[in-house]
Amino acid sequence: MARKGFKRKFPPLEILSREDVEQIKMATLDILKETGVVIEHKDALKLLEKNDCIVDYDSKRVRMPEGLVEECLRKCPSTFRVKARDPENDLIFGGNTVYFKSSPGMDIVDLDSWAHRTATEKEYEEAVIVLDTLEHHDWFSCYTPYFGYEGVPEVMKMTMGLIKRIKYSTKFTGLCFTNYNWEFNFRIAKVAGMEVLCPALMASSPLTLSEFAVDAAFKTIEYGFPIGVDTGSVFGATAPATLAGALALFNAELIAGIVLIQLKKPYSRVFVWGFPNPQNMVTGAPGFGNIANALFNVANNQIWRDYGVPLRNTASVYTNSKKIDFQNGIERGMPAILSALSGAHSIHLYGGIYGEITHSPIQSILDDDLAGMIGHFIQGINVNDETLALDLIHEVGPIPGHFLNKRHTYEWWKKEQYMQKVGDILTYPEWEQSGKKDCIDYAKERMKRIISEHEVSVNLTKEQEEEINVIVKEAEAFYKKRGDIK
Amino acid sequence: MKEQLFENLRKSMLDYDEKSVNILVSDAINSKINPLEIVDVFTQSMAEVGDGFEKGELFLPDLMMAAETMNVGMAPIEKMIIRNGLKKKTYGKIVIGTVFGDIHDIGKNIVATLLSANGFDVIDIGANAKSDRFIEAVKQHNPNILAMSALLTTTAPEQGRVIMALKEVGIRSKIKIMVGGGSITREFAQKIGADGYEPTAPLAVKLAKKFVGKS
Repeated sequence: MARKGFKRKFPPLEILSREDVEQIKMATLDILKETGVVIEHKDALKLLEKNDCIVDYDSKRVRMPEGLVEECLRKCPSTFRVKARDPENDLIFGGNTVYFKSSPGMDIVDLDSWAHRTATEKEYEEAVIVLDTLEHHDWFSCYTPYFGYEGVPEVMKMTMGLIKRIKYSTKFTGLCFTNYNWEFNFRIAKVAGMEVLCPALMASSPLTLSEFAVDAAFKTIEYGFPIGVDTGSVFGATAPATLAGALALFNAELIAGIVLIQLKKPYSRVFVWGFPNPQNMVTGAPGFGNIANALFNVANNQIWRDYGVPLRNTASVYTNSKKIDFQNGIERGMPAILSALSGAHSIHLYGGIYGEITHSPIQSILDDDLAGMIGHFIQGINVNDETLALDLIHEVGPIPGHFLNKRHTYEWWKKEQYMQKVGDILTYPEWEQSGKKDCIDYAKERMKRIISEHEVSVNLTKEQEEEINVIVKEAEAFYKKRGDIK
Repeated sequence: MKEQLFENLRKSMLDYDEKSVNILVSDAINSKINPLEIVDVFTQSMAEVGDGFEKGELFLPDLMMAAETMNVGMAPIEKMIIRNGLKKKTYGKIVIGTVFGDIHDIGKNIVATLLSANGFDVIDIGANAKSDRFIEAVKQHNPNILAMSALLTTTAPEQGRVIMALKEVGIRSKIKIMVGGGSITREFAQKIGADGYEPTAPLAVKLAKKFVGKS
């Protein structure tokens, strides 16, 4: 058993020629071999040197031979399962399956003033409950929905957030590291009987792996969990402004991580993360919502299909808009469908509004319709005797014949259309009678229903809760000793 | 002749034409023009680029290219200023760095470049800098301003630690502290006891000028 996600029924969208793909892949190999990567971790340097890399210990620069890189890529499973708390929510990454995941925001956003602030504990729980309920939301992002909630010290935010996700949902979850919290978080996941997926090997672009990232990766491997390789190139700032060059560099950063992981533990389950954006040349921030992101992702999905490693796309959620509005809709919708068409295995979508600054459960509910529509599209059209309905067409014939009263219509229409759950689909007079409700009004109503009706599919046992509490106490003591909690 | 040379220098600066700037600076030096007057041309040209940016006509790469071009032209002039014992006008001294745990330094570099191009004397202590390094730099250089960057939400609290450490050694009150970076907010800056925060590099320059009473 596992979540089905959506299955793309037709060949993926490809925008690069075979020659283009080869050129970019060769450039990536060249970067790894000639320029190399700085890896600020002694044990990693030794491991790489032992495996034929050229290591300069002074500059911490590692140059990787092509053969090793290709061998390590081959060792990555092209499909693999990750374990959720409820087996019904396990995920199987790879192939033509597309999953949708949530996107974090530091704060909750007010839907009238669009100001943002730290969420309360109740708001945090409600946002988790919404994401647990939404049909097409398959897994949680690392620190979704918010970075934390009121009253929680900075260093405990990720741990306490993880516990909320585990308590109020049985869906699979991502996880990030900060301030050496990995030991506590992994132990909590183990107690809950689940795995977590962490973009532990997070490169700092260009071409640098910090000591902390490598430590996090090695710890993930030690626990036997799947591991994400990640980087956040900004085209025109930490990478070339040209997409071809940015692709080559971005992939070199990710593959350097893969080499290290596969040398540490061959055949580890690796998931390709990544947070590519062009530079916003006005503000200096990443250029969220730029169509260049989608162009980059579509090309990269094609390249990674060649490498045979599952990957996620992020462009679909980071909008420039601070509101739920037209700009937000186009900046998330267009990249999301392009990612789904071009073979992303997971698409970052639910709840995030501006960058990683704001998140809203109302946005999540709206995104469930967006995911549903995209998923419906990529599942394509069924063509067989029954769907062709030739006998029926002969039977109905010309006017006054019609199809509305036919069993075939009754049985098929819901499968062939996607019915939005919170979209306004009324006629004009009906809309006026309804009080002129829009999709946000409907989403608010749906949220109320979700909160009042929610049940977790598998509750934590009393023993599990107690064990988790013990780990939390240990974490607090650890941070008090470090001076992070007063 | 001097006016024509300065006009050509200004135009070359605005074309980000390093080669021409180099030649024109050599001509100016050979013509025994006061190097401080040449510096003024650079400063005025940078101000023009800054105005273009504020109007939305120019973009970050323009600011960076202008700063790079200015750096090329300023190199021989700096030497002359030192050799002749002259004193360059400066708005003040700034120590800048990215805090410990964070090796992202593009944003910090943009701010440092723009501060420098706008007449500040900038001491860049790099990325992944622990409190000790900030304290050492403040003690050594006695700056007007300390600027700290952190991209990640996970490293942002480190800015607060640096401020605490500065308090502990009794030098916090001697400097203005400005913070920035992707994860920083105005509220966060207030919470950790910084004197100011701005979300973008050009605004950071304005804030620095305000701190030294030049806005």
